[in-house]
Amino acid sequence: MKYGEKQGDVRSAANDLRRRTLSQFSRPLDRLIYLASTRDYNTGVYYHDGLAAAYSQDVACQALADCHREAFREILGTSLCDLVGQLENYMESARLGTETFVEAWKKLEPYRVTVPVESDPLAAEFVFANFRTALAILETRQAARPVLGPGA
Amino acid sequence: MIQLLFFLTVGGVLFVFLLLLARRGKAEGGAEALVNARQALLTLQTELLPAGLVGRIFAKDDLEFVDSEGSQEVRDLFLRERQKVALLWVERVKDEIRLLRYLHLGSARFYARLDLKTEVVLAADFGLLLISCKALELVFVMRGPFAAPRMVGTVANAAARVCDISQQSLAFLTTSDLNALGGTSGPGQVSA
Repeated sequence: MKYGEKQGDVRSAANDLRRRTLSQFSRPLDRLIYLASTRDYNTGVYYHDGLAAAYSQDVACQALADCHREAFREILGTSLCDLVGQLENYMESARLGTETFVEAWKKLEPYRVTVPVESDPLAAEFVFANFRTALAILETRQAARPVLGPGA
Repeated sequence: MIQLLFFLTVGGVLFVFLLLLARRGKAEGGAEALVNARQALLTLQTELLPAGLVGRIFAKDDLEFVDSEGSQEVRDLFLRERQKVALLWVERVKDEIRLLRYLHLGSARFYARLDLKTEVVLAADFGLLLISCKALELVFVMRGPFAAPRMVGTVANAAARVCDISQQSLAFLTTSDLNALGGTSGPGQVSA
């Protein structure tokens, strides 16, 4: 396949992915987590059966990588206030309590695996720093909430 | 005795001359310097200087938001984290600018025909940039990441100017040339 043809296929596959799959996630954070989860941690290769069947594994991989970078750039440009809001909504959609969620995220730092491979270390460090601050804010808000008794 | 001193002096002068020639030759043919400079240019233009990223790192609205949360502990954490990022940013800009300066001190003069005025402006910009970066580092360490927004703007603008001139100097290098030299064509490649 010629380079130009392949790039055309990658663009078309990425558009397909945005329209059919990524449009279901309204928040950049959800898109970032979803796209990072399609990547094999051992090889760095992205997999999506539907996309690979419609195009090819190679094209699907590049389309997923492009969309992953795009989602990462969105998070990079997100304000801290917005990031806290997105984390809160993500937590609610996953039906997790703040305490459990914040504790797990602080210990495991799962946001570290959401970074695309070729990202600049500065961008990655900036995003990690924002996640750490956002988690601290959620924790403080949780601590400030009045504890309700069983009858409340 | 006088003859010995004379020959030692001549030998010393020749040795220094040979050393200078060796350094000059290395700079002229420094394919590595060209590849490094090209990579530094790309890093600066796509990763370190985009207004969106610089604006976000030094965004006061983030600090205002943290202040509105009313927790000193969170504020301290935020300032520590942002200070680390700000220092990393200025350090990276300084490192990449040094790579570009190395190119202009050596190889660029032989490939890119810059006029004297451009070379003088460039030399002034390099000097200003490296001094400003050092000063910014001090300000970030002593007064925090939000203490000198104008200086951040000055550094970013001067770095962008240097990038523009360096881009002209490196314009003769095509992607295939870079690949032949063992460099990369940019950070946008899919390595997965």
